[in-house]
Parts: sequence; C-alpha cells; structure tokens
Amino acid sequence: MYFIFEENGPESTFETYNIKHSSVPLPFPMAHGTTTLAFMFQGGVMAAADTRSSCSGLVACPASQKILPIHSHLVGLTSGTSADCALWKRILARELRLYQLRHGRRLSTSGAAKLLSHMLHPFKGTELCVAATLCGWDGGETGPGNSTNAKVSLAKDERSPYAYSILDQGVHWGLTVDEAKSIAREAVYRATYRDAYSGNCVDMYHITSKGWTRRNREDLKEEYYREKERRKHEKTERRDVAFSD
Amino acid sequence: MALEDVCSFKERPVQHKWFSFSSLGDAAIPFPTSDCYNLRYSRLETSENNCGVPLHFFIPPLPHSSSFINRPLSSFCPPKNSMTVQKPFRLAHGTTTLGFIFQGGVIAAADTRASAGGLVACPAVHKITPIHSHLVVTSSGSGADCMLWERILIREIRLYQLRHGHRLSIRATAKLLSSMLHPFKGTEMCVALTLCGWDKSGPKLIYVCSDGARLQGDVFSVGSGSPYAYGVLDRELRWSLSKGEAISLAREAVFRATHRDAYSGNNVDLFHITAQGWSQRKREDLKEEYYRDKEKKGKKKNDKLK
Repeated sequence: MYFIFEENGPESTFETYNIKHSSVPLPFPMAHGTTTLAFMFQGGVMAAADTRSSCSGLVACPASQKILPIHSHLVGLTSGTSADCALWKRILARELRLYQLRHGRRLSTSGAAKLLSHMLHPFKGTELCVAATLCGWDGGETGPGNSTNAKVSLAKDERSPYAYSILDQGVHWGLTVDEAKSIAREAVYRATYRDAYSGNCVDMYHITSKGWTRRNREDLKEEYYREKERRKHEKTERRDVAFSD
Repeated sequence: MALEDVCSFKERPVQHKWFSFSSLGDAAIPFPTSDCYNLRYSRLETSENNCGVPLHFFIPPLPHSSSFINRPLSSFCPPKNSMTVQKPFRLAHGTTTLGFIFQGGVIAAADTRASAGGLVACPAVHKITPIHSHLVVTSSGSGADCMLWERILIREIRLYQLRHGHRLSIRATAKLLSSMLHPFKGTEMCVALTLCGWDKSGPKLIYVCSDGARLQGDVFSVGSGSPYAYGVLDRELRWSLSKGEAISLAREAVFRATHRDAYSGNNVDLFHITAQGWSQRKREDLKEEYYRDKEKKGKKKNDKLK
C-alpha cells in the first residue's frame, strides 16, 4: 500500500492502514494530533510538547502530559494513542527499575529504546499506536533514543512539520540553555498556531547529567494574544501607507 | 490558439444556454468566460473565428458510456458518478509554493520538483507562471492540469484586456478562474493556484483551487511542503520587511520545506511583484544552500567546543 503524506494527513493515513489490518471496526478514525520535539545540544537534551489530547475533532483534554519522566535521567515523549502511551511508559519504567535493581546500574538510553522496541514488537500490525522518543543522559554522554513502533511510518506524521522547519533553522550544537528553551518554545508555539490538533500549553523538560528539570507549564494563549496585538499594531501602520502607484 | 485546433473547435456546432449555478445539474453548461458575446444567440451565428465561442473541452470517451461522438454535444460536463481511469498513484500536491504580501509588494516563491509517486519526474519545472505584467500564478496539484489552466487564464485575461481596454482586477480574475474550474469539481482534476499580483487596489494574494475555494489573504503556502514553510514564515513575516529581507525569508522558507519534504526540492524560483510589474530572481539551486547551512552549523559546533 502506497503512503503519500498530504498536509491533511493524520486520519487518512490511519484509515488506509486500517483497511488492510483491522478486525474490529474503530468507533472513529484515530487522529494523531500532537506536537512533540526534542533535540540535543551542548547543554544536554531539550524536550518540549504541547498538551492537547484530541479525539477526532474534539479536544478530549487540554492539559494532558505528553512528556513522561521514566526515571531521574530519562524522559519519554509520547504521541499516538494516549492510553497506549501511558501504559507502555509504566511498563518501561517498571522494566528499567527492575534492571537497575538486578544489575546495580541504570540501563542506557539506547538500551531502554531497544527494550521498548522489543516489547512492542509482538504488537506490530495491530492497532497499537505508540511513538515514543526517549531522551536521556547516560553516564557521561547524552543519548536520545528513538524506538520503532507497531505502525510503520509513525515517526513522520507525529513530529509536527511546522515545528521541524523552525528547529532546522535554529538548532545547532552550540546553543545556550536559554536559547534552546526559547527555540523549543517557539517551535511548539508555531505548530500549535497552524495545527488544529495541537494547542493549549507547552511543557518543557531539560535533561542534563544531573537529571531532568521541568519548566513550568506555560499557556500559549498569552503568546498568541501578544502576537495578535503586535499584528494589529502592524495593520494600523499598514493602513497609513498610501498605495500611490 | 493551438489548443483550439486540438479540440477541433470549428467542426462542432455551438450550443448555448444561459449559465446559472442553479441549473448545474442540467446537461448544457457553457463555459463562462469574460466574453459577454457568448450569451447572446444572435452573435454566435455571425462569429466566424473562435472569438465568440466559449471553450469546449474534449473529454475522452469513458469506458462504460457510448462513444463521444454520439453523446449530446452540450453535455460536456463530466458525469460525477462515472467510472474513471484508475489513477497510477494518489495525487498529493507534492510541492512547496508560497506567497506573501509585505510593504514592498508581493513575493511568490516555489520549488521546482515535479514528482510522480516516488519518482522525481522533472527537477526543473516552472511552478510560477506570469499571466500578465502584474500577475503571476503559483501552481500546485497536477502539473498537467495546472499548465492547461494557466494557458486558459492567460487567454481569457488577454481577451478581456483587448475587448475592454483595461486589465481585469485580480479579484475578478480569481472569480473568473474559480467559475471556470467549477464544472470540474468532483472530478479528478487537481489544481491549486495562488494568484499573486498588483492591481489598482494594491497588492493582492488570492488562492483558488479546483475544490471551489477562493480565498484572499496575506500569506499562503500550498503543497506537501507547506507546513514546513508556514513554520518559518509565521515566525518572521512582518509587514515592515525590506525587499532583501522578504526575499531571503521566502528563500529560507522554501529551503526548509525542501529539506524536510521528500516531494519538494531541487531549485527555488522567486518572483517579486510591485506596482511596476513582476521581476524574477535567478533560479537558485538549493543544494548549495544546504551545504552552506551544514557548514555553518558545523562551524558553530566547533566554536563552542573550543
């Protein structure tokens, strides 16, 4: 089956997938509405996400948590079905804790990613929908891990394209922590501005060798109104300019 | 126009009915053109050349219906429930085009990749076409359909100008285009055009698509790469940009989109429209920009590590 991602993609891709594989008809086409992002820089790993849980057009929860801490040095960004993500995050946390107790050291981020991937493998081809990005700091080095999931091309449509272009523009290794924070925030804000399925607030986590720190959840509504004021001001400027030609 | 010869205009008798949207379900729907001569029967008998004749389209015979020649000539509106030829791949607007208005006029930018499924059919396509000296149109959707409709639009605008002595406004052009596309709504025709121009009322940017949408705005980006372009544009677009800043913003937006979107790429075309007309910037290969960007990031990494 040939997948071409259109700009109004999410439901349609899931539907085509479903036609091939589903046994139980879904009550509604599941839409994967979210914006999550993470990047590495010299000061550690920065992870940010919006907080809107959508359910085919309805905002099911405006204050959900998409960045779930797994242990002191590892957080997981989740997108896909919130229920599946919450479950698998708990399962992963349990497995990692057991590993730590048995072996006396924490599992590395890439190890955790491999573990999650293998745990999800039996569900490949089912309607399970989990796309997780693990961001962590192991030992002396950062290691954001990416797990592969039941749904083949998940990585592409979960990560918001609106955020990608801003990250591409601004992210480089040498960012300071404040610059990184502001880029992450801007990227999530721009995605929520254009994407109907992302919105409400932005969560930010910063992972360093000392563990993760969480920034206060910020409501993007304020930012939106600030920008609207600015544009309104511009519009009045614009009306003053005479089109004399 | 060569198109008319291909469509064998002169061989067919002409039929007309008053065009009204309410009668769209009926058989005969002549093409509305800017040509008001069409609407009067008396004129038609005397017209020798094609100047009085509305555009007819050759619609290839459909598998289940009788041959085209036997079909009543007035019903050239493609029947909506007919079986059509299997598409080789799903049409997605695999492109990045954008346009925005700022204090110095209108900027229109687009990539140059034409894709067919997963193949790059042509790496050097013109997605921005000038219609007249103060109007360009960026196209996305099916390449063939867009090329055809651009030519038709050029023809109609030119005819209007010759008959009435003044250029049609951009809003009227958009309306004309939209009503010409309307009979094909629901068929597989896939055309999404952004008219970028300057007329008596200043700079204008109007998006017209074959689904029937006709939207005027300050910034539009169309195609599979549009979300990527929107991110960059939303961030930095201001009314008060200088010309150089606007050009580099448009270029950056297309570059970021081509970087992430598989169906956009190769070069970037840029047009700047002012009250004096349009001017085209030299086509630029984004490969160079990619390497420059990579080097810049690598340099920053080295600087910080020192």
